[in-house]
Amino acid sequence: MWVLFYQIFCYLVFSYSILLMASYALLVLMSRQAQNQLDINVPDDETIKYMMQGSPLTPAVSIIAPAFNEEVTIIDNVNSLLKIDYPDYEIVIVNDASTDRTMELLINEYSLVEVPYDIAMRVPSKPIKRVLKSTDERYSKIIVVDKEHGGRKADGSNAGINVCSNKYFVCTDVDCIIEPMALYRMMWLVINSHKPVIGVGATMLMSNGCIVEDGRVTEAHVPNAVFPMFQQLEYLRSFFIGKLGWSRINALPNISGGFGLFDTDIAVKSGGYDTTSMAEDVDLMLRMVTYMNNNGFEYQLAQVPKVCCWTEGPSNLKSLSRQRTRWARGLFEIVVNHSKLFFNPSYGVIGGIMLPYIFIFEFIAPILELLGMIFLIYFTVKGGVNWNTSTIVFGMIYSFSLFMTSFVILSDVKTKAVDWKYKRVSYLKLVFASFIEPFMYHPIVTYCSLVGYWRYIRNKAAVWTPIQRTGVKKK
Amino acid sequence: MILAYFKYLLTYAFSRYDEYPFETKVAIIITSFSTIMIIIMQLNMFFGSIRRKNKERLRNSIEYKYGMGMAWILSDDADYIASSETILEAFGLDQNYLGKQILKKDVEKKMFADVFYMDYITEKSELSKIENIHHMLSMFGISEFLEREVSLGNMRRISDSLHKLRAFKLQVSPWVVNKLLKAKNLHVQRLAMYTTIMSSSDSALDYFETDFFDKHCCIRDEIELAYSLQRRRREGLKLPNLARWAHIQMNERTQCMFVRLMRRFNLVEYCGELKDLFKESKKKKLIEEISRTWGYLHYVDCEPMLIDTLMSQPDDTKVAIMHAMTRLGTGKSMNALLDGFHNTTNPHVRYEAIRCIYNYGKMGRAMFYKLEKEATEADRKYFAFFNNPITLEKIRLDKEQAYHPSVETVFNG
Repeated sequence: MWVLFYQIFCYLVFSYSILLMASYALLVLMSRQAQNQLDINVPDDETIKYMMQGSPLTPAVSIIAPAFNEEVTIIDNVNSLLKIDYPDYEIVIVNDASTDRTMELLINEYSLVEVPYDIAMRVPSKPIKRVLKSTDERYSKIIVVDKEHGGRKADGSNAGINVCSNKYFVCTDVDCIIEPMALYRMMWLVINSHKPVIGVGATMLMSNGCIVEDGRVTEAHVPNAVFPMFQQLEYLRSFFIGKLGWSRINALPNISGGFGLFDTDIAVKSGGYDTTSMAEDVDLMLRMVTYMNNNGFEYQLAQVPKVCCWTEGPSNLKSLSRQRTRWARGLFEIVVNHSKLFFNPSYGVIGGIMLPYIFIFEFIAPILELLGMIFLIYFTVKGGVNWNTSTIVFGMIYSFSLFMTSFVILSDVKTKAVDWKYKRVSYLKLVFASFIEPFMYHPIVTYCSLVGYWRYIRNKAAVWTPIQRTGVKKK
Repeated sequence: MILAYFKYLLTYAFSRYDEYPFETKVAIIITSFSTIMIIIMQLNMFFGSIRRKNKERLRNSIEYKYGMGMAWILSDDADYIASSETILEAFGLDQNYLGKQILKKDVEKKMFADVFYMDYITEKSELSKIENIHHMLSMFGISEFLEREVSLGNMRRISDSLHKLRAFKLQVSPWVVNKLLKAKNLHVQRLAMYTTIMSSSDSALDYFETDFFDKHCCIRDEIELAYSLQRRRREGLKLPNLARWAHIQMNERTQCMFVRLMRRFNLVEYCGELKDLFKESKKKKLIEEISRTWGYLHYVDCEPMLIDTLMSQPDDTKVAIMHAMTRLGTGKSMNALLDGFHNTTNPHVRYEAIRCIYNYGKMGRAMFYKLEKEATEADRKYFAFFNNPITLEKIRLDKEQAYHPSVETVFNG
């Protein structure tokens, strides 16, 4: 009986792996197509700037950056935001009742004074205590919102949405390092689309190991530390294959909370960020998609294939496991809260194809892997494993994963998405990471996912803990 | 054919492993496929890196050889047309090159065009004399090269060359542009459209008196059209009747685009033609844009229509009409603005009404202080913005704000 069950399970898992690889291969093809399309439609950065910077039609953008106890980095970060190259933008810093000197430093550095405000609470957030602007013309872009403590980034982002006055807003973390041309790159996709663009995702990479000078990444390096190196590879795969591929059929799975652009009006009509969610970025995007579909509006979700933002990833096991557990919990929340969208073709490609893919190949995968591991151990002990076949199947998965990495590196080489300081060394590091990733990194991520699911099922209170930052290298 | 080939390959592969179970066969095929792909990609990367290095070398050599000459052409603001001899001298070239091909290979011409284009757009050399640039490009064979590129089939190269032709303000043969206007790729079609509008004769513009624009309407189209129309005006060519183009289109976004362009180019002479659209259209955004245009262009004939229609419009449209009334500033619409303040419940509309009254000349300012004095406790918040120097900066309706739709709303309260 057990043997029969085992055999059925084996065939199921095998079919599952074949389907997964087929879907990856399809995503590779779609991302290639998307890249070809972008090669024709998107000129180089200088041409984009040449066309957009002198035109009063270039849409204005609000950058929303919630901050809580960021006294160490706040001034550097706001200065970095001030250096963004874009003709019309405002910076909305939301102070989530910091208990350190964040607010005091901001007031002193930028000569802020309280201004009258009358803000309609278009999306829910904790009450705003005051709004401050600078008396210095050089800082007229800055609006600082001092609000009651909400405890979550989503609450701060919502306060920012309530205050911002532009048609598009970018939500970012105050500690992200933004590429000077990032807004041009994102807005080009907005202004170049015939359908209303409701969201644009940007490529984000790890800043660990990079050299930062004057609020800019001046030298891009693949991190030397093991965990950030794996994450760099993971991010590259996710952006160049996953997101770019899905964007080809207008089914972007996620616009990252670290740096994503949204249509303010649609975000407001969809209710803004969910202040209780652990995956508030995916949640907002899905609610925006639901709103557009329910009202029969056309929409477009786009993805920028060039790096726009650098963020510091967890550099040790503890931080990594916390982050991944939170992500897994967030995924479970999404599956539960947006269940009506899954396998529902009336929500277009997102409901009919992309979300079922996420459910089958991302949500279920850790559970299947756990079962596989249990069976493998049981039958190894019992002596029922066909090692020849197992080795061949393992070889198949391993070589396929190397193929994916090669594709990512080739895409990067061709599109010049990242300007690595030492290209060969960087690519060698990535290839090296892809060789050992299945043994060192993947089991940890799978374990964290299972822990996240378990915590969600047990309804254990979600605590958002910021990752422990070691800081980036400065020249 | 391809399917048959794949079938043959699969049959062959399966027959090689007849005695193996099915999953083993599949695994071996995928492993082989992955390995072959990895090798192909590695080779691609290897040869790609050699190609890139060669390109970089060529670029450096072009920059080294001709960089000074390019800089001279871009920075020279003298009011004369440089002779071929002067250009050769500036580029450090022997006079023997006179009348001869300077760059022989296409790859060199492409690199020269790339380098010069980058310098040109980053330095925004508006001062440089365009005739000298054209002369230099023609001497180096770049004009002819770019036009040849545009008439080739590769969409990427066409798009690349069209960008350069437009930036350098070079004329393109009408037959090439006409062909591109019918290209399958929308992006190329659009670039051809901008090029045509920039420099074609008046009769060539008749081509666009169809619903052609309905499939080409995004913010970028508007930016590019504005650029093309600006070039047209600078070269002394007549601007098309954008009000008629707005009439012809079906799509509201496209109609709005033409109405906005009218105000950008001060086409007051066509304002009257918008009256029918304003009266008959049920399109909210279009009515808003027409009102803004009338206000911005001081088309006072429209004021009675604006006053009549104000209170029957949705809230956003009310705001646009009130702004138009303020810009007209004739004194006849003060009562309508007061209506907008007293007889509306939406706080945003009320705030905007106050803002319009504040900006309505002396008469408006007097009314503003009167209203402030009489304001109830709940209404005081509207007036607070006007007493603060920082927020007051944003309250003024200047021309640029008036043009840009997204900055019309300063505070959303």
